[in-house]
Amino acid sequence: MTTIRISSSRQRRIAALSALVLGGAISSCKLDVTNPGPLLDSDLNTTSAIPALVNGMGGDLSNAIGSYITRGALAGLELVHSGNFAAEKQFNAGVIRPEDVGGDWARMHTARYVAENGIERMKTVLGTSFEANANAPRAYLYAGFANRFLGENVCNAVIDGGASQPSAVHFVRAESLFTRALTLARAQNNVPFANAALAGRATVLAWQGKWSAADADAALVPATFRHNALFSINTTRENLDLAVQTISRREVTVWNTVWVTDRDARVLYDTVKTGAAITKGQDGATNFFRQKKYLTLGDPVALAKGTEMLLIRAEAALRGNDFVSAMSFINQERATYPLAALTATSVSDAWTILQRERGAVLWLEGRRLWDLRRWLDEGRNLSLKGRSTCMPISAEEAAGNINLR
Amino acid sequence: MRGDLNYGVIVLPNIDVACSAPAGHRRRPSPFTDLPVHPLNPRSRWLYIALTVCVLPLSTAIGQSTGTISGRVIDADNTQAIVAAQVIVAGTPLGRATGEDGRYLLANVSVGPHIVTVRRIGYAQQTRSVVVTVNGNAVVDFVLNKSSVSLTGVVVTATGEERKKEVGNAVTTVDASQFERGAVANTQQILQGRSTGVTVLGNSGQPGAGGTIRLRGVNSITQGNRPLIYVDGVRIFNGNTPTGVSSRQSVSPLNDIAAADIERIEVVKGPAATTLYGTEASGGVIQIFTKRGREGPAAWTLEAAGGFNSMGRFGPPSDATGLFLKQCRGPLVVDAAGVAFEDPTCPASGSWLQKGAVSRYSLGVRGSGSGISYAISGNFENEYGVLRVGNNKTGGIRANIGFAPRKNITLALNTSYQRRGTAMISDGNSADAFLLNVSRGPGSNFKGSGCSTTTVTCVLNDTIFSKSNTIANDHFVTGGTATWTPIEQLSNRVSVGFDYNNSDIRTINPFGYLRTPTGQYFQTLWNRSLISVDYASTWKQSIGKRFTSSTSIGGQLFDSRLNSTDLQTDNFAGPGTPTLISGSLRQITDVSAQRVINAGFFGQEVLGWRDKLFVTAGLRIDGNSAFGKSFGLQKYPKLSMSYVLSDESFWPATFIETFKLRAAVGEAGKAPGAFDATRTWNPVAAEGGLAAFTPGQIGNPNLGPERTRETEAGFDASAFNGRVGVVFTYFKQRTSDAIINVSYPPSQGFSNNQAENIGLLQNTGLELQLTGTMHPVRWAELEARLQFTQVRSKAIDLGGQVITIDALSRSYVKEGLPAPAYIGRMVTNPSAFAAPVVDSNAFIGATFPDRIINPSLSLTLFRRLTIDAVGEIQRGGHLLNAIGYQNAGLKIWQPCFAAQAALSAAAVGNAAALANVNALDRARCALGATDRDYSYFVESADFFKLRSISASYDLPKQFAPGARKTTVQLTGRNLFASTKYTGSDPEVADQRTSTFSRRDYYVFPPYRTFLFSVRTSF
Repeated sequence: MTTIRISSSRQRRIAALSALVLGGAISSCKLDVTNPGPLLDSDLNTTSAIPALVNGMGGDLSNAIGSYITRGALAGLELVHSGNFAAEKQFNAGVIRPEDVGGDWARMHTARYVAENGIERMKTVLGTSFEANANAPRAYLYAGFANRFLGENVCNAVIDGGASQPSAVHFVRAESLFTRALTLARAQNNVPFANAALAGRATVLAWQGKWSAADADAALVPATFRHNALFSINTTRENLDLAVQTISRREVTVWNTVWVTDRDARVLYDTVKTGAAITKGQDGATNFFRQKKYLTLGDPVALAKGTEMLLIRAEAALRGNDFVSAMSFINQERATYPLAALTATSVSDAWTILQRERGAVLWLEGRRLWDLRRWLDEGRNLSLKGRSTCMPISAEEAAGNINLR
Repeated sequence: MRGDLNYGVIVLPNIDVACSAPAGHRRRPSPFTDLPVHPLNPRSRWLYIALTVCVLPLSTAIGQSTGTISGRVIDADNTQAIVAAQVIVAGTPLGRATGEDGRYLLANVSVGPHIVTVRRIGYAQQTRSVVVTVNGNAVVDFVLNKSSVSLTGVVVTATGEERKKEVGNAVTTVDASQFERGAVANTQQILQGRSTGVTVLGNSGQPGAGGTIRLRGVNSITQGNRPLIYVDGVRIFNGNTPTGVSSRQSVSPLNDIAAADIERIEVVKGPAATTLYGTEASGGVIQIFTKRGREGPAAWTLEAAGGFNSMGRFGPPSDATGLFLKQCRGPLVVDAAGVAFEDPTCPASGSWLQKGAVSRYSLGVRGSGSGISYAISGNFENEYGVLRVGNNKTGGIRANIGFAPRKNITLALNTSYQRRGTAMISDGNSADAFLLNVSRGPGSNFKGSGCSTTTVTCVLNDTIFSKSNTIANDHFVTGGTATWTPIEQLSNRVSVGFDYNNSDIRTINPFGYLRTPTGQYFQTLWNRSLISVDYASTWKQSIGKRFTSSTSIGGQLFDSRLNSTDLQTDNFAGPGTPTLISGSLRQITDVSAQRVINAGFFGQEVLGWRDKLFVTAGLRIDGNSAFGKSFGLQKYPKLSMSYVLSDESFWPATFIETFKLRAAVGEAGKAPGAFDATRTWNPVAAEGGLAAFTPGQIGNPNLGPERTRETEAGFDASAFNGRVGVVFTYFKQRTSDAIINVSYPPSQGFSNNQAENIGLLQNTGLELQLTGTMHPVRWAELEARLQFTQVRSKAIDLGGQVITIDALSRSYVKEGLPAPAYIGRMVTNPSAFAAPVVDSNAFIGATFPDRIINPSLSLTLFRRLTIDAVGEIQRGGHLLNAIGYQNAGLKIWQPCFAAQAALSAAAVGNAAALANVNALDRARCALGATDRDYSYFVESADFFKLRSISASYDLPKQFAPGARKTTVQLTGRNLFASTKYTGSDPEVADQRTSTFSRRDYYVFPPYRTFLFSVRTSF
């Protein structure tokens, strides 16, 4: 065997040196890396971060509403599908499935969480100056509207990974949040925020059956008042998705909805033509009538309007069978556009008019499905009979929430 | 025994240690690197010792005097020179590759006895002993025998080169001689069909589009399954560039290594073999070795190839229009109701398809002089697709330099630069995608006027070509390896490398574009760099008479940086060539800047017994900046065994001259993403451009790497004098702590899934490679190879969750099923002529194939004409044919025309119309939206493809005066495909949605390539 014996000390020194070099190299490796981009959760615990935190509440709420309106409009019969998206086809057909609502469910709950959690963070960071902070009532408004949005559209409430509850839980939370917003806004003499809080609270009071209280709040809101969810052409995330689907694309159409035969000045759309022929939607088959309520990707969507307050008052009156007062409120609302006054000769007539008025006033604002749902429950409107009336708990929530198993 | 005396140099007997050693022959362990046994017979051994005793003192007396060793290496079968055979002097850093004439020269060899070894893939290794005298030249010629399975070569591992016989794992080597006849253009094409355990899926038929490579299936759900890539010891980025906004395909930097530059590729497949590569290595390792300098004067190689691409069969067999691509006018251009539509922009030929020119050139020079070996090459390729738009143009240079500044130090420097420019069509799930719009017929998004009548649906799909999708890449790789051998037993290797990728990805809708009249401009500026430092030190020695020991320690440091910026502008002021400031709306849509550092060190001990049995134990310890704060260092152990049974006296070597048993178990891991461990918020704009935060990552401070443990066992055998070879491996991988993006309840506010270590995945499989060489007649040689790979993956434990990969694609990971799997609605009575019975939550099939068979053969006639063919069969995979789903809904899917006519008739009361419509077609072709589902269009992706077939002819010298060798070659790629899949192609995938799930959403299919090439050496 060809064994070459090595002399010891030099080789050992070399080997030791190699090991030393290696050990030194490894031990000097510093693995701590600070990557730019996302902010750590703790970075938000400063006073200077509060404005952006609250802006984020508004951004997440708009993001949720803007994305949902298209599908809500399909389920609520405000629009007809003219595209190829699979989930939208189901919504259009009146089928809202857990596997098709994941994105909307997540965005709605993010909006609620960000606002409610943000309020608690603000209290911690601002301490005693919280109530005087101009962003405080704004944050409560976002939290209130996020809860109303959920309450009006989901079938069941799920809070922070908890158990399933009736969707009305969101209205209860919203009432409390709007009340706090109102208190702080009044304390800060912020009239627009106070009106928004009143308008928001009026609706959720009404949805809880507290019509007198709702009427009282609604009465305090000017007919011309409007509080918006903001959108913008500034960035894609700030775009109003419904506008994207109808301006940049032709995914949904007004064609074949009730508003084609029942024209109304508040339901704005036009027919689009290629030459002499009506342009088809994205599916190549359905006539495309483009909504014109939103003309740009940055148009705002109303969260609260004085006109809706008049209709709340009208509905409160009708629930007391006072169709005269109801028609008075409805015509006050119509006068703001201005539209000719209407006449009803019975409570039933007034209900029909009211339902149509709410449809026109709130068209494409993500509210119609709730109206049809609650009226179906009361037997006043059967439009949704046999169709899905609300958004079920998403498949992702059901899979990830141990309290739902 | 024969002793030659040349120029005062004594050459010892030719000692063949190849696999064909006679039975009963005893071989000896050796303490030296690459020093196999040199089985001296007793007589020669004494002579050797005597000479050693005589010469060694002399050489010592004259200090550092040296001599040379030279010779020639030829093929035993045909006496032709063997090019690029590695000739090394054992125990020294000295080594050379043979030149074009098979000759080599080793200078500055210290005086005294030496062992010279020659190795070349595909041949049995030979070793001979020489004694070098002062200023003398020892001439040692070698005649090598072919061998289907050779244990005498080396493979490169994390510790450096190891003899194949010592390695306890299966390592596949693909040599240039195996692929240069296949007209391959890049690494991806080289690997297609040439190695067991390797799945290569071409994702698109767009020129330049990158594919997907998997080694032994998938063992990670979230952290990617791409193998690590090393080029000449430098680790390079192993992913793809970002996908284009509308092309929805990406470019693979791996394909920037020109095929003409590659000498060999080693595929190290599983964690049992990649343990010492540490975190990130569980997907396997692909090592690419480019051509190095050869002995002798400059030898030039010029290759020029030209040809064309054309589309073969694709889409539903019953659709003669080829989804309206092959025919865009004529009587068949109708929808399900038989209503015609028109496209006045359809080319005059009546087809969108055309032939695309292909040209490739490469020029290289290799040689050595003044102690420096060099290999310098340049390449250029220009390829057009089969549509009016679609081009891949790439070119680059490479320089590999090697020299020895000191007797015991060698340096190897490797540098390459490649530039690539691709122009793609809009593809996949994009509103502008060409296949989407053309195949939808009247449902195209590009409607207009100019048709024969105003009543016909008029589409203008040619407009799509005005949209631009480009990717411009610069890829620079440089590195150096220094090897220091201060003493014979100790070798130290340090490699430092830098890999830099830069991409500029643009998507431009010009002003006046039909779908966005005011124009749009998207740009992604992306660069990725990777610095790698790699050190390994190995100490080899004998322990007594029977044992050898090889102890290695080493470490690696990787510093990976990513910078990516997405930009967008809209609303151009007017026509012209736009820039990012041409639009009135400008936004930075995303910025990503990440740095990840991984550092680790390892130790390994290889204990040999009588040079037959080797036991290897190793440990890798890793730290990674992406590990959670409380996770610390990770340890990955390995243990392997190799037993060369054929070296035993009892082995019946008459027929099976080589047989090695091997077994290994080892672990490797994959690190989580840079931000996965921390709770984060993302900065966004809101409320009309105000600064805002939105929830990002939930965070998990305990997050660590996932860990894959692999056990493999198998054997390598060759029989009948190397004419038949068998390599078999069984493996089982279990990935514990699998990182799974856990879906937390969205009601908790953070809707992004959080990476957590909760899963357990398993892959089992086997790999079998059969090779055979025969000479049916004297003038013909046939080499045949059959490879079979089976990989069965299964999700064992996911904490009870069903992981959604892509709900739209019906792609999920579920316990007990392959990962990922298609789960959804399945018709349980597909062939029945009845209403469909539907299982709404059925396992439809695995996404990736679980069986791959690669037959290939090479027939050489008259030593000049070679016909080479490589095929591939994939079975067990499935693919969502979203084209079928969408087009059926639009009543434009030809296979549904008859069924939909019947369904329409039934809908108006003619139930009898459905008599011949089976349940599956009733579901797939359903008229109502609520009756339809993507699931019904998940189809088997089984196929057979003829990857390449070529005929090469070595021209006689008189036809190529001045050239050493000239070969002309005719090659076809993808000439034949057989599949029942009805979508675009069973291998395609829309890359923008997910790289783990796959779906064919109007993805342009691959095409055929015909090439004529001339390769000449001079």
